[in-house]
Amino acid sequence: MNATHGTVFLLDDEPGMLKALTRLLTAEGFAVRGFTSANTFLASYRAAGLSCLVLDVAMPELNGLELQQRLTTAGALLPIVFLTGHGDIPMSVQAIKAGAVDFLTKPVNAADLLRAVRAALQRAAEQRDVVAEMAVFRQRYSSLTPRERQVMHHVVAGQLNKQIAADLGTGEHTIKVHRARVMEKMGAESLADLVRAAERLGVGKSVIGNR
Amino acid sequence: MSWVCGIWSMIVSACLTVAAMHVLIWCKKPTAWANLLFSLMAVATAALAGCELWMMRAETPGQFGTALRWLHVPAWAVIVSLVFFVRLHLRAGRPWLAWTICVARTFTLLLNFLVGQNLNYREVTGLRHVPFLGESVSVGEGISNPWMLVGQLSLVLWVVFVADAATTVWRRGDRQQALVVGGSSLFFVFAGTMQAVLVLWQIIHWPLTPSLFYMGIVAAMSYEMTREALRAAELSDELRAREHQLEEILDGTPSLVYVKDLEGRLLLVNRRFESVFGVPRQHLIGKTSHYFLPKEIADAHRASSLEAMATGAEVFVEEVTDEPDGRHTYLSAKFPLFDPGGKMYGVCGISTDVTARKQAEAETLRQRDELAHLSRVAMLSELSGSLAHELNQPLAIILTNAQAAQRLLAQQPPDLAEARDILADIVSEDQRAGEVIRRLRSLLKRGETTLQPLTVNDIIDEVLRLARNDLIGHDITVHHSAAEDVPQVLGDHIQLQQVLLNLILNACDAMSANPPARRHLTLATTHRDRAVRISVSDTGHGLPPDAERIFEPFYSTKEHGLGLGLSICRSIVAAHQGRLWAEARGAADVPDTPTTASGGTTFHLELPAVDEGKP
Repeated sequence: MNATHGTVFLLDDEPGMLKALTRLLTAEGFAVRGFTSANTFLASYRAAGLSCLVLDVAMPELNGLELQQRLTTAGALLPIVFLTGHGDIPMSVQAIKAGAVDFLTKPVNAADLLRAVRAALQRAAEQRDVVAEMAVFRQRYSSLTPRERQVMHHVVAGQLNKQIAADLGTGEHTIKVHRARVMEKMGAESLADLVRAAERLGVGKSVIGNR
Repeated sequence: MSWVCGIWSMIVSACLTVAAMHVLIWCKKPTAWANLLFSLMAVATAALAGCELWMMRAETPGQFGTALRWLHVPAWAVIVSLVFFVRLHLRAGRPWLAWTICVARTFTLLLNFLVGQNLNYREVTGLRHVPFLGESVSVGEGISNPWMLVGQLSLVLWVVFVADAATTVWRRGDRQQALVVGGSSLFFVFAGTMQAVLVLWQIIHWPLTPSLFYMGIVAAMSYEMTREALRAAELSDELRAREHQLEEILDGTPSLVYVKDLEGRLLLVNRRFESVFGVPRQHLIGKTSHYFLPKEIADAHRASSLEAMATGAEVFVEEVTDEPDGRHTYLSAKFPLFDPGGKMYGVCGISTDVTARKQAEAETLRQRDELAHLSRVAMLSELSGSLAHELNQPLAIILTNAQAAQRLLAQQPPDLAEARDILADIVSEDQRAGEVIRRLRSLLKRGETTLQPLTVNDIIDEVLRLARNDLIGHDITVHHSAAEDVPQVLGDHIQLQQVLLNLILNACDAMSANPPARRHLTLATTHRDRAVRISVSDTGHGLPPDAERIFEPFYSTKEHGLGLGLSICRSIVAAHQGRLWAEARGAADVPDTPTTASGGTTFHLELPAVDEGKP
């Protein structure tokens, strides 16, 4: 996978700026799709491949921060690099808190911009990997029987087989069998692998919490 | 000496004296025909008196008859001259009656010489001696001539004519004249006629003395003419007083007053004129302006005089003169002068020194420009964020383009076509940045007002461009509608930009408390009746109850505002012969917006359109 060669969505209401950024990013080998308004972008945006958004904060109609909000609400995984003519600190803090990759001030140096875009695409790739892993874990997790899930929750909470057997009111041997099946079904080679999968899925914490 | 001889000699000399006086008057003033007629009448009366004396002293009936025959000649003259005197002097009497009398009397005169010994007697048969004024005088006896009736009929017509004329004068309101001329003529003519009738029909035996009666008329007329002369003398005194008064007014007036003939030579100047040029009037009269003014100034003065003469109407011009304390500006009114015959003979000029007023006006203008400049600077500091953005944007584009070009040129092979496009874009963006700086500099410039034909929609576009970032920053939606074929207006580019910018920034402030969805700024350009109107509407907090107060200096609703903006805007607009006013926004003022709720303000800026064909 080459993280630097993805699609960059460009959004700037100033056509001259849009053109210049398109040239720069195209010269660097990115696929670029430019828009001059948030609404046309929203109308044509479809999640596809590795992509990020370079976004001008100050725009008529829908401004950059509002667009970010919308995308987050819609669950789109599109890392954003903000560009602004005159950004102030509260604005950049808000943007970064809301998940922006970077907040750059115009005129922006090509090196800074490219670094930010690459970082954004990197994050997109990571997000994509995470999402893919999640899907696998979720699929594996759904193949567990309810009993196996109970056992898994106790295992990732760090309990010994004897404790689990006592908690679930069964024999230690039975737990051992369940545990081996859980490990097999979840594709975990070690306890650490299983714990990571549980963390990703967000399961098992409740057991510890209940204690 | 006998009484008769004495009295008749006195009549003759008195009549001749009066006649001589009036002939003299007529010689001086040939249009005074009344005076000539009066002299004629007086001379005829004298001749009448002579004939009467001849008759009274006649020794034979033949002598008496001859004297009576010749008496009719002066009698004719008296009657005819009195008729025309009445027509001329009193401007009364019926013309047809006048001519009838003349014809009848002339006919009488002819009869007098053709029929019988004279008009009155076919033949004088004898003389009777009667006592008269203490002596014996001759009175004729003989056969009365029936043709005498014609003469006496003419006398009756004469009485009627005079009576009619006197009535006309009386009705006209000249009662004294009617009494003196009409009344006395009537009385003496009537009395003379009665005596003639009685004597000639030999009812009473008296000598014939019409001259006594006509002498009465001459005396009455003489009184009337003297009164006229006295009135003329009074009038001339009055005129002299009036002239003196006019001279005093002319000399007292603080303006320069002068009259020039058609060639531009001075005919009259007032004291102020003398003192301004420091030349006494006797040296000025007969001279042209070139005598005391530099050529180009004198030429200008002459040109405006010629204009007044050419148009035949009043001309107002501003003129300058060089005086010891410097150049002065005068507001001059020049108008042609006509003699009573309606012929133009010169030009009168009244020039008022307006130097001080002009200086005050210039000072006011300068102060207004200065204030407008200060207000512009203040406004630009408010806009500085927007302006920085306007400048930053092209710089950012240039940098990005340049760095893209570096990469394109580093490729193998280099993408030269794209690099060329980039360079073209860099040039245009650089020009854009230059344009922003130029606009900024022109707004910051401390300039005099210069009027030129302007397209208002261009100005609106420029102003929206300047304020663009502020408008976006305030989440304001801008609507701009322009009518078609909006004529140009005459104005100062910078100042009109300033006014519009001020209105737009005010609108932004007024809407700052609104939710973003209710922040609409509408600019509409319309034109009607040779006026172009720009309406700036907002959906903000609206006007205070006393809306006119917002145009007062130091009235402000903003925390940081000086309160000068709108008052300066209004003075700028007034200097453009335009109007600026505010009213509550009507829903119709914002046609395209989703908010039809009321609230907000509309500012109207109306400017006169440039006359087509006169750029």
